[in-house]
Formats: sequence, C-alpha cells, structure tokens
Amino acid sequence: MDSKLLVGAPLRKFKATLEGKYFAWILLVPSLFMVVAFIFYPLYRGIYLSFTRTILLEGSGSTFIGLENFRQMFKDPLFAIALKNTLLFMVVGLITQLALGLAAAMLLSQERKYIGLIRVLVVLPWFTPPVVTAYMWRFMLDTNSGVVIKMLEGIGISFGPAGLWSNADLAIYAVLFVDLWASYPFFMLFLLAAIQGIPKDMRESTAVDGANAMQHFRFIILPLIAPVIVVASVLGVIHLINSPTLILLMTNGGPGDSTLVLPLLAFRQAFQAYDFGYASTISVAVLIAIAGFAMVYIKFARFGKED
Amino acid sequence: MPAKSKRRPISYHLVNVGILFLALFAILPILWTLYTSLRTNLSIMRYPAQISFSELSLKAYTGVWRDTNFPTLIKNSLIVSTMTVIISLTLGTLAGYALSRSKFRGRQGVLLSYLVIRLVPGVLLLVPMYIFMSTLGLLDSYLGLTLAYTTFTLPATIWLMKGFFDSLPPDLENAARIDGCSRMGALWRISIPLVLPGLAATGTLTAITAWNDVLFAIMLTSSDRTRTWPVGLREMIGEFQLPWESLTATAILSLLPVVIGFSLVGRKMVAGITAGSLKD
Repeated sequence: MDSKLLVGAPLRKFKATLEGKYFAWILLVPSLFMVVAFIFYPLYRGIYLSFTRTILLEGSGSTFIGLENFRQMFKDPLFAIALKNTLLFMVVGLITQLALGLAAAMLLSQERKYIGLIRVLVVLPWFTPPVVTAYMWRFMLDTNSGVVIKMLEGIGISFGPAGLWSNADLAIYAVLFVDLWASYPFFMLFLLAAIQGIPKDMRESTAVDGANAMQHFRFIILPLIAPVIVVASVLGVIHLINSPTLILLMTNGGPGDSTLVLPLLAFRQAFQAYDFGYASTISVAVLIAIAGFAMVYIKFARFGKED
Repeated sequence: MPAKSKRRPISYHLVNVGILFLALFAILPILWTLYTSLRTNLSIMRYPAQISFSELSLKAYTGVWRDTNFPTLIKNSLIVSTMTVIISLTLGTLAGYALSRSKFRGRQGVLLSYLVIRLVPGVLLLVPMYIFMSTLGLLDSYLGLTLAYTTFTLPATIWLMKGFFDSLPPDLENAARIDGCSRMGALWRISIPLVLPGLAATGTLTAITAWNDVLFAIMLTSSDRTRTWPVGLREMIGEFQLPWESLTATAILSLLPVVIGFSLVGRKMVAGITAGSLKD
C-alpha cells in the first residue's frame, strides 16, 4: 500500500510492514507469544519434570533421574487403582453421555413450538459451574435429606444406612450420573448440529410406525452423522479423562480410593505431597492416552479440507 | 408443520413427552436448589416433599452476603473473568482475523496447533504453570490467574472468531480498502461491527470458562485477596459446614451471571462451538 517509506519515520515504516505481506503474522504474534510462553513452555517443562526428582519442600531444585518415576508409577498400587477407575469412568461416561446425547438430539431436531428455547435450556447444565453442579447434587443426593434419595426410597430403592456416598461400589456411578447431567448436552449439541445439517427431505421419516422409524434412523440418519459421532466421542472422552473437578468436589477420590482417577492422583501428588516430578509423570501418562484420541479427532474433524 | 391436523400419530406425542423430560431434567435440579435457598426452615425435611410458598424469604441470601466473605470472592472472580475476556478477545480477534483473511505459509500449522492445544490435559500444565507463575512472582495475583485462564480460552476464542470472520463476505472490506482504508482500518471499522454478536458470544463463553474454573484457582490463589468464588465456597463448606440454605443461596448467586450471559447470547455461543470444532 504505502510505498513511500521515509527513513527515520518508524511509525510509517511499521504501518507499511503492517500492510505488507507480514500482515497476518503481525496479528498473530501476540497470541502466538501467549501460547508459546504459557502452554508450549509449561508443556515442555512438565514433560521434562516427569524425568526428574522435584519435591517442592526439599527445596533443592530438580535432579534428572531418567525413567525412575515411570518405574515407580508402574509399581504404585494407587496408579493401578486410578487407571482402572479412569477407564471405568471413561467407558461408562462415554456410553451414557453419547446415548442420551443422541436420543436428545433426535428429539430436539423435531420442529415444535418453543423448541428453540428448549434447545438452549437443555444446554444450561453444561455451562453450570462445576462447584454448583457438585454441591447441588450432593445436596439432592444427600443420605439423610436428599430429595432424590427420598424419592428413590419411596419407590423401594435404598442405599442402606451408610448411604450412597459411603458405598465404594456405587459412589463412582453417582458421580457418573452427575457428570451425565452436566456433560451430555455437549454430545447433544454436536449431534443436533449434524442432524440439522442433513437435508430436510432425507431427515424426515415418512413412516409413522415405530419399526420403520427405527430403520430410518439406523440406515439413513446414523451413517450420515457417524463422523460427527466420532468427533464428539473423542472430545467427550478427552473431557472425561481430563477433568477431575467434579470428582474432586464430590468425593475427593473416596470412599477409600474408589473414585480416585489419574488426574486427581496427579493433583494430589503435586499439591498435597508436593512431589512435582512424580505428579508430572502421571500427567504424562494421561497425555499419552489423550494423544491417541487426539489423532483420531484430527483425522475425523476433516482438518485441512476446509479450503 | 400442519397447523392443526385432526389426529396426530402417537409418535408425535411420545416425542413431546421426551422433549418435556429433557427440559425438566435440565431445569428441575436448579429450581429445587432455588426453592431450597428461599426456604426459612430447612431443619424439618418432609417426605413426601410438600412445596409451600408461604414461608419463603431471602434470609439466606442476606446472611451469605453480610456474614461471609462471599462478596469479596465474587468481586475477585468478576475482575479475573473481565481481564480474561479483554485479553482473550483482543488477541483472539486479531489472530482469528489473520487466519480467516490471509493465506500464508504456515497457516495450516498455526491452525492445527491451536486445535491441538485444546486437547492438552490441564493437569499436566498445573505443575509447570505453578512453578512458572512463582518464578514470575505472579502467584496469588489477578494477573497470574488471568494469564493461566487466557491460555486455555485463547485457542477456542481464535477458532470461534475465525469462524465468525469466515462467514462475513470479504467484499465490504475490499470496497473499503479501495476507498483508501488501511487493512487495520478495514478490520476495525468494517468487520468488527459486523461480528459484534459473535464477539459477544465468544466473550461470554470466555467469561463463563474463567468464572467456573476450580483447579487453576485452587492452585494459583492462596489468600482472600485473589481467591475466586469456587475456591472460597469449597473452603467455606469444608470449614464452617455451611447450612444447606446458605449453600444453595451461594450456588444460585454464582449461577446467576452464567444464566444471564447464557440467556443473552446462548444460541450464538452454542452454534459457534459446534462450528468451531467440526470443519466440514
């Protein structure tokens, strides 16, 4: 644009550069700086720390110890428990959230009065602060006074005198239920968008009876939204593995270690035991698991085909 | 949709029941929490629950507001969320615009890395972020928490803003450029006003993310000077055994800003999220 560069007029010069071929890069520099400084650098540090002995209270900095932390991890019974719980949480969480999300997306793709309002309303749990979600449900599922517990007792379902939260077999399912409430809308959103992307004449089943409606879903809708199901599942699984917040707030890993998951174990190692090295090792294990899913995501999200 | 067909198939009504169930599933827990926070006498738990509106009061709210440090916690959260929104939107808009409008070498790489960053486990960043913030002297400060939040809101912001710019026809900007407007001028005067709804939706999403966070706040704050409401509430519950009506009142108070933001731009926000994560 501005071709007349005046030597000694830095502002003009900067403006000219801004207009030129580096325009995009100049706009990108601030965000790239943030990402490199506060994600890539910490990520690199985190991976490095996993090969070191770094215990905050000892205050002696970190010593490189190679794979020692990893050896310790594979011998750690808590790691085995947390891995098992993480897998359970992931599998049951994915199945329930995907199933309800798909059913909800099918229902909400229908045209009804006020459906737009309901579509937004249904997503509210997903944006509800985890602290609110956690304590609200602890309250409603409270052993002595919880309204849901009382209702369940009314229809003959009881969790015994100790209650749901002291039951090592059931507590994880209680958290999974709460996570279903909070997280299934995420699946619903993606699947609803996918269903709405199907041309209208293909979307609407001409059949009125149930059997044909099922076939219509199975053979027409499902194949068309399959790629989106994969993408939503991968993001959902990553979210399930990644976010120990609800567990931290609702059970803090208990009773016993029955709801201890990997990120929570890492969090404890870091901020209760101050063992930063070992905490990083556990986090790296989580990262490796997620990397596998991430690759599936990138492949199926059709990245790079947009132009 | 036929306005009034005489007999609708049974499936039509089943769908209505399903939709009603979904709406109730989402909203009843929140309404029950709201109702509890307004009750005066919670000591008597009745079953079957009798809903009575005669004994409602705002006592729990005034109690929480006067007798706890909840207002300070809310103030801290508001400051950190606002700062996060300002930094995220500024940087995210510039980057999103560049990625939407310019074709340059390395563009795909930048886009891919912003996509992948969103998948990095937060727990892996916790420890190095803590060490880094401690080195920078930013532990227990608004800025430290803001920078931490910005890192995980920024990639989403960039993708969302890129999407909103993509949906604008470039003709308007081109016309402005021919009339002698600079590229930054075209962005500021032509494109930004047109993506204002998108900007509002993205900003709200960013604000909610910062407002809701627990993990980073637990780690990076240590005093009432900066502690945000989720951390403070967690401690109040641990220390003082908050009675249920106070607990539910704080829950409703902290949910309020989310509900307000959500009801204003929820639809746009939701559309942006799905579009930003699916590129086909």
